[in-house]
Amino acid sequence: MSQTFTKAMARNIFYGGSVFFFLLFLALTFDTNSALPERDNRGAITEEVARGKAVWEENNCIGCHTLLGEGAYFAPELGNVYTRFGNSTEAIKGFIQSRPKEGVPGRRSMPQFNLSEEDLNAVAEFLKYSSEINTANWPPNIQG
Amino acid sequence: MHDHRTYPPGDLAIWIFILAELLVFAIFFAAYAFTRVGHVELFNTYQQTLDTNAALANTLALITSSYFVMRAVAAIREDNIKHCVRWLIAAIVMGLLFLLIKSAEYAQHYSHGINLRTNIFYMFYLSLTFFHFMHVIMGMVILASVAFMARRGKYSAADHTGVHTGASYWHMVDMVWLILFPLVYVMR
Amino acid sequence: MKYQSQAVAKPYFVAAIGLFVGQILFGVILGLQYVIGDFLFPEIPFNVARMVHTNLLIVWLLFGFMGASYYLVPEESETELFSPKLALITFWVFLVAGALTVLGYLLVPYATLAEMTGNSLLPTMGREFLEQPTITKIGIVIVALAFIFNIGMTVLKGRKTVVSLVLLIGLVGLAVFFLFSFYNPDNLVLDKYYWWWVVHLWVEGVWELILGSILAFVLIKTTGVDREVIEKWLYVIIALALITGIIGTGHHYYWIGAPEYWQWWGSIFSALEPLPFFMMTVFAFNMVNRRRRNHPNQAAVLWALGTAVMAFLGAGVWGFMHTLAPINYYTHGTQITAAHGHMAFYGAYVMIVLTMISYAMPMLRGRDAANSGMSQVVEMWSFWLMTVSMVFITLFLTGAGVLQTYLQRYTDDPMPFMVVQEKIEIFYWMREVAGVVFLLGLFVYIASFFIGGKEPEEA
Repeated sequence: MSQTFTKAMARNIFYGGSVFFFLLFLALTFDTNSALPERDNRGAITEEVARGKAVWEENNCIGCHTLLGEGAYFAPELGNVYTRFGNSTEAIKGFIQSRPKEGVPGRRSMPQFNLSEEDLNAVAEFLKYSSEINTANWPPNIQG
Repeated sequence: MHDHRTYPPGDLAIWIFILAELLVFAIFFAAYAFTRVGHVELFNTYQQTLDTNAALANTLALITSSYFVMRAVAAIREDNIKHCVRWLIAAIVMGLLFLLIKSAEYAQHYSHGINLRTNIFYMFYLSLTFFHFMHVIMGMVILASVAFMARRGKYSAADHTGVHTGASYWHMVDMVWLILFPLVYVMR
Repeated sequence: MKYQSQAVAKPYFVAAIGLFVGQILFGVILGLQYVIGDFLFPEIPFNVARMVHTNLLIVWLLFGFMGASYYLVPEESETELFSPKLALITFWVFLVAGALTVLGYLLVPYATLAEMTGNSLLPTMGREFLEQPTITKIGIVIVALAFIFNIGMTVLKGRKTVVSLVLLIGLVGLAVFFLFSFYNPDNLVLDKYYWWWVVHLWVEGVWELILGSILAFVLIKTTGVDREVIEKWLYVIIALALITGIIGTGHHYYWIGAPEYWQWWGSIFSALEPLPFFMMTVFAFNMVNRRRRNHPNQAAVLWALGTAVMAFLGAGVWGFMHTLAPINYYTHGTQITAAHGHMAFYGAYVMIVLTMISYAMPMLRGRDAANSGMSQVVEMWSFWLMTVSMVFITLFLTGAGVLQTYLQRYTDDPMPFMVVQEKIEIFYWMREVAGVVFLLGLFVYIASFFIGGKEPEEA
């Protein structure tokens, strides 16, 4: 093929292609936005759940755990922990509360965060809310 | 730089890009066909709700526009800049007609509450046609810039690679529709 | 060194390497915590070590990008940097802010750090890679703006080359997308959706423009191939990067609550994301084969070629392996992700910064175009030590991930997470050994700067 391949054409393809796909991405984002209310369980976002998310963030739970598969891979997935613990916020609270301060010798250990009763309730409610988001049937099973 | 009727016409870069585009569409078409095998009933049922008359009109619009683009290339080969520009504009108008008909179809669907999430058939139908729709817009932008540059005397019988390049892209957009139309609207 | 102001790149490169060492030290700590679970607990719990490791990575890469820009833009623009003084001020601001942040992570509990830094006024902490206090994030924005201003003004007053322009677009994109880190809604799905506008659109988007432009610069300088050819290919590569990568963002939207059509859009487009990396590999080898000169800095050429190959393997191939939705359904959030992440970051971004440092440092140190033969040999040893050990880290984590996916996700009788972690421990031990070798390679790398100084330089 003896036709030259000009830099200008490559440049045009770059600019044209980038703008094209960015616009397409915006269109899909717009559609996603309208679709979310029926999937993201936002009706369950009470002030307590919002506080729970803040507790989750302030203690950097994501630094060891995954939530909906995203995060660190040191400790279990917590998106479905509510279900895994028998649909019980009390069980979640109990687990967090009972972490030994000095850890478990030789084993991966979760810190004792000394959370207030209020914050414990909040983070448990947050995890309950998370478990009811429509994640297209993920994770594949109860183990997360 | 002489145009020696080398093959393929137009800048090589656009052909790499066209091949890439065709690859993406091919993957999409394959995904459609593959998915249909598992949902034959559903696909057949909802296919009935599509407006084949509108699609036919769109097919005619695009074929006509490709013809106009060919006339534009022929015109510039004879150094007839004025006619080249006119044929390009005619092609763009046909493209606009396509967009209008397609938009009317979309409006119909949305008024019935149909969107990307309604079911797997509509997901494919809307995704495929919208992806193509955006390529028609892109093609019109390219033809318009070619027409603009032709007006400003950038092309001649001796050197009109840009016109070939734009024409090739437009023909690709047309060709994709010629596969899409029977695959999605007609084939059962 | 053609322009005096290019000298400001040196402190940036030195800081980058220093922080790189910190990052790997913490990496080795993390690897040990995987197998000796309470190592350094509770003084440095896993999550703290991890945020130090990842944040140091990002910060040292940013120092590297800035140093690379301060070096190459004056040369490309054929004019002195707009304000070397501003560059030095931003250097210290960034370094001090970064150091304070890392100290904050280590010295106080994270929740306390959040309180101390007024996180509740505008909560942005507590998300992966974005653990920085809000005030640090604001500091990053200011540093980024000052940097882009400086570089932008330099390009404006001088020659505008494709290399500079692509670099600038990448850097502006970096800054713009970072702004999404300030958006932290209560809605977890929305939170995750836009979090990826920072992370994906960085590393699988605008950072590829930065990578491409630096690689193009180094290839122009070391091969002597015509700029027109190299710049043309740069456009092709970045076009493919954005054309595939923008919709490719959808491969993060499969299981987070977004509509299910993303499984189709994301799979199709992200499957094509290896293409630009493939082109980059073909491009790099092609340019070197067509070279018109044998540049004395062979180490830099090795780094450049290595970057293309490792980026293709780590980002392209390993990424492809788990990008299709039906596969990702089982591998999402497993050690497969960690395997891909390590090789991708090392291959693409660590290596391009090291490529640039390899090319520029001799001149920044007042030497000729390259270090002495002995110095280069040591540097090349460090290349192989780090690169090969990274390959092994990735292979071992892939093994861990495959077994984990089978035992925890795929089998009819899935086992709990912690049980599976114990079963794959052998892979973690092997990974740690490879990690220590990597650290050794890094020490050899540092040594290369101090070895062979009295040898005659390569002319």
